[in-house]
Amino acid sequence: MLRDITLGQYYPRESVIHRLDPRVKIAATFLYLIMIFVVRDFTGYAFVTCVLAAVTAVSHVPVKFMARGMKPVMFIIVFTFVINIFVYKGTVLVSLGPLNITDNGLRQAVFIAVRLILLIFGTSLLTYTTKPMQLTDGFESIMRPLTKVGLPAHEIAMMMSIALRFIPVLLEETDKIMKAQQARGADFESGNLMKRAKSLIPLFIPLFVNAFRMAIELAMAMEARCYHGGNGRTRLNPMKLQKIDYIAIVLIMLFAAAVIVQASGITGLPMLWPSR
Amino acid sequence: MRIDVQNLTHIYNEGQTDEVTALDDVSFTVGEGSITGIIGHTGSGKSTLIQHMNGLLKPSSGKIFADGTDITSKDVSMPEIRRKIGLVFQYPEYQLFEETVAKDIAFGPKNLGMSDAEIEKRVHTAMSLTDLDYEKFAVKSPFELSGGQKRRVAIAGVLAMEPEVLILDEPAAGLDPASHRSMMELVRRLNTEHNTTIVLVSHNMDDVAEYCTDVIVMDDGKIFLSGTPREVFRHSSELESKGLGLPFGQCLIREMNRQGADISGDSVLSGEDAAEAVLRWLEEKKC
Repeated sequence: MLRDITLGQYYPRESVIHRLDPRVKIAATFLYLIMIFVVRDFTGYAFVTCVLAAVTAVSHVPVKFMARGMKPVMFIIVFTFVINIFVYKGTVLVSLGPLNITDNGLRQAVFIAVRLILLIFGTSLLTYTTKPMQLTDGFESIMRPLTKVGLPAHEIAMMMSIALRFIPVLLEETDKIMKAQQARGADFESGNLMKRAKSLIPLFIPLFVNAFRMAIELAMAMEARCYHGGNGRTRLNPMKLQKIDYIAIVLIMLFAAAVIVQASGITGLPMLWPSR
Repeated sequence: MRIDVQNLTHIYNEGQTDEVTALDDVSFTVGEGSITGIIGHTGSGKSTLIQHMNGLLKPSSGKIFADGTDITSKDVSMPEIRRKIGLVFQYPEYQLFEETVAKDIAFGPKNLGMSDAEIEKRVHTAMSLTDLDYEKFAVKSPFELSGGQKRRVAIAGVLAMEPEVLILDEPAAGLDPASHRSMMELVRRLNTEHNTTIVLVSHNMDDVAEYCTDVIVMDDGKIFLSGTPREVFRHSSELESKGLGLPFGQCLIREMNRQGADISGDSVLSGEDAAEAVLRWLEEKKC
């Protein structure tokens, strides 16, 4: 079950997307996030979906693998969908006792669900195609100008890379402890909510203890190798923008422009099921 | 209790691009009252195998019978299986969680729904088995103990369920020589005095040679060799080709022969065996 969590992992492949400069990918992902919130109707989302599908195809990350990564967040999507579908006023479509499904509710629910799915798919593509090290190097480089105003860019980047690196480790650890406690007769699957929450204590306490132990060990290992922060640190592979990076920048700009133009409505094209 | 493993196959991520066959048609028997050693290099399928033996993993195909009961079937009672077949993972000290040692050891029996008096009794027994002084340790927090003590608490936690079969994954890994010895002696005592059937996963060939009655050598998800320690360690060059070591006595004789001696020592395991073989060889040379 825990093996299924692929979100945030790196998926090694040879592709143009994998080769792009991490800074370009981070900036592109950021712009993509903004654009998702700019979109106002379903034509816009159809366009965004097509672009995302094209990028995914080019990246050679299997859609099946990405879909597996969606599983853990499916609950949130379903939850927001259910909440949204009932809270909006409008023309009643179906009445379930005191709860009404309205046309606006249905529209909003679908709209938000699509938005969430696109958000997660798009951002996870960044981690699937970028090695954690590159990712944090990219972040550090983007944040560097802010060190002048006291932002500890290097430290933040280091913390991020450690956090990312420990996701699979902690998942494996959880799996191990779970099995060990099951071997002692622990039951994580049955009982009511209260009982189930209580049954997690034997899982979480060792997990936290081990996480702290690992953190201390890692800190010592880093110090033993003379780690002293980012000052004066040079890179093995300094980042330099290549031709494909410039092409990617142009393409993402075009994408953003297209989304903005479509959402502003100045094209005069009809909107598909927009919010009022 | 006797365990029969029949044609066990386990495939991780079956049907996906990253599928791995961890176990491939494995069959063997753990005899009642035996100490069965499982050896094999990292990634040979040992851990996957032992997790099947108390139902933590379900096989892709194949069956496991514990005294005739099929534990891979759906309608078998899992708590019952877990009570009868105890499993101690590698580095079990990282699974402690309770406020006191006694409470942690009581976790297993409690899950089995035993009475307080029975639990109390079992905690006492388990602690004395693992050489943990009740007066001294029962109310201590498990987190303030030393590594070796923590491990004994964790093992006591499984012993408190009084399993008929005890599976141990590298119980002595990372312990100092004295603790190592006392851990292995505990295993032997459980076997001889409490008639517990033992399955021991180990990388220490001397332990396997000294304590086990049967040995199974795993390689790439398959059984590579099996038999008594003497039978298995006779295949010294095959074992070395699979990246496995040999018991000390066997190493010694091989090295002496390499230097020009011609000692017949195929069945030599321990240092004492080696000494005897060398003496015999010297006697022969004299005449």
